[in-house]
Amino acid sequence: MTTAARTRAFIIAGLLPALILYLLFVVVPVFWSSYYGFFSWKGIGEMKFIGLDNYTEVLKDEIFWKSFVNNLYIVAYSVFGQVPIALLLAIVLARNSWYQRFLRASIFMPMVLSSVVIGLIWGYIYHPQIGILNFLLDSLGLSSWKLGWLSDPKVAMYSIGPPIIWANIGPYLILFIAALQNIPGEMDDAAQIDGATGLRKLFQITLPMIWGTIKVAIILCISGSLKAFDLIFIMTRGGPANSTELLATYMYNNTFNIFRYGYGSAVSTSIVIISLLLIAGSQFLMNRNKNVA
Amino acid sequence: MHTKPIPMSSSARGGSIVIRKMGRGATWCMLTFYALLTLYPLIWLFVSAFKDNQDFFSRPFGLPSSWHFDNFSRAWKVAGMDIALLNSAIVTSVSLVLTVLIGSLAAFILSRFHFRLKGAVMGLFLIGMLIPVHSTLVPLFIMMKEMSLLDTYAALVLPYIAFELPIAIFIISAYMTTFPKELEEAATIDGAGYWSIFCRIMLPLSMPAISTVAVLGFLRFWNDFAFPLVLINKPSLKTLPLSLSIFADGYGTDYSLTLAALTISVIPTIIIYLIFQEQIMKGMLAGSVKG
Repeated sequence: MTTAARTRAFIIAGLLPALILYLLFVVVPVFWSSYYGFFSWKGIGEMKFIGLDNYTEVLKDEIFWKSFVNNLYIVAYSVFGQVPIALLLAIVLARNSWYQRFLRASIFMPMVLSSVVIGLIWGYIYHPQIGILNFLLDSLGLSSWKLGWLSDPKVAMYSIGPPIIWANIGPYLILFIAALQNIPGEMDDAAQIDGATGLRKLFQITLPMIWGTIKVAIILCISGSLKAFDLIFIMTRGGPANSTELLATYMYNNTFNIFRYGYGSAVSTSIVIISLLLIAGSQFLMNRNKNVA
Repeated sequence: MHTKPIPMSSSARGGSIVIRKMGRGATWCMLTFYALLTLYPLIWLFVSAFKDNQDFFSRPFGLPSSWHFDNFSRAWKVAGMDIALLNSAIVTSVSLVLTVLIGSLAAFILSRFHFRLKGAVMGLFLIGMLIPVHSTLVPLFIMMKEMSLLDTYAALVLPYIAFELPIAIFIISAYMTTFPKELEEAATIDGAGYWSIFCRIMLPLSMPAISTVAVLGFLRFWNDFAFPLVLINKPSLKTLPLSLSIFADGYGTDYSLTLAALTISVIPTIIIYLIFQEQIMKGMLAGSVKG
């Protein structure tokens, strides 16, 4: 064998395992689900071709759109909860003393827990009878504030916010700390000479310097919001009365609880399209802003 | 270097320094309070796991009136934590080893060789990071069913590797591109083939990147819930998160048992976190920024 042929053989042999696994279990399923979406199928028996019926039903279903709105709620929790809190914490935690590192580590901690564990713990915090939140309100003499945090359809979607923010602040904190530590020291000195301190320095120097990172964080919030399936599945299963339904739980319930595999596939395809649109849209908006500025 | 215009500002603003010191003190108090608030759910979990049910209801914030270590032995046997732990360990370690081997081999080729479709292959792997995992659950379920892989370890291991490959390739190839070209040239002159360059030089040198990938993979595989939920039904094959999830519907069950089981499942991740803290933080950042 010549050297060139040996090199080519090595390239092919080395890439093949990765490519086969990746194509078979990540890329192909996406196309398969759009194909299954054209059929009515209960998982066993015959598949019946029904054209676009599943897809039009998805678009007409109120619960699908409610789920979509709930996904946007999660985006909002991340953008208006995680980002400002993480930014604030990063500003005070940007140095490297052991106590700051300890605080950072504790704030990051929930990130390494399984969503099942997080969901169960918060289920106990919110539990109407034995929950520690209602117990706390009782002992503070605020019994009238007690709620069925996860069992009241009007409240449930709001109760989802704190666990999501609590669990996901970590990476944003680290992202912002890295950005803050990249601001050159001369900027600090220049600001001090010009007499800019405190809030003025924050708004006129620090925030503009890390604006790019803040934009990255917002894009992360949008793509991250589509991953919230596990937590909600454990805490509410999308209930009560679909009040916390997300696109992913909606898909799961339609497929595996009422066995509409064709319809579930159509929903899966919609999720892929929606998430690509969201990511492309946010990237476009952010880039346009950059060109203007 | 920080050069401070000290004399003027410090003497002129003596009062404001006091205020600033008080402000700093207040910030510290609030920070510590916030950190305690974040840690509290976990502390509550660990403490409550030692209580009996009566204690759990009546004094949710207090320490246990007597420490019940038997909760853990009951969770171990009754709640099937022993089997779940074993399943999680098998699935996680097999997926990890294969992800690292297949991923770093692909990363070696994508970072150290030049060929026509290189850009296309790299782009293909990057696109994968945009596909939401949950949207593949239904088709994967149908595929696994037709390949008769439902209720096997392979049903979890194969998609785990596939979904972890893009980030593994991204992290490891970024690291490998920094090596000097002379590395392979010297080895080739010594008569080493590509495989031995990969095994003897590239793998050992890339250990920092590989360990980041491994730690991230461990957390992802160990904690994953969606795939076993859909692909595993047999009780003897259930992983930790899936076995724990049965406690989610159980209103009015044995709380001390549940909390002990939760504690058992959390301890390995906490240990890994304490050891690999820096790597986890940096790796998750790299992972999320790309994804």
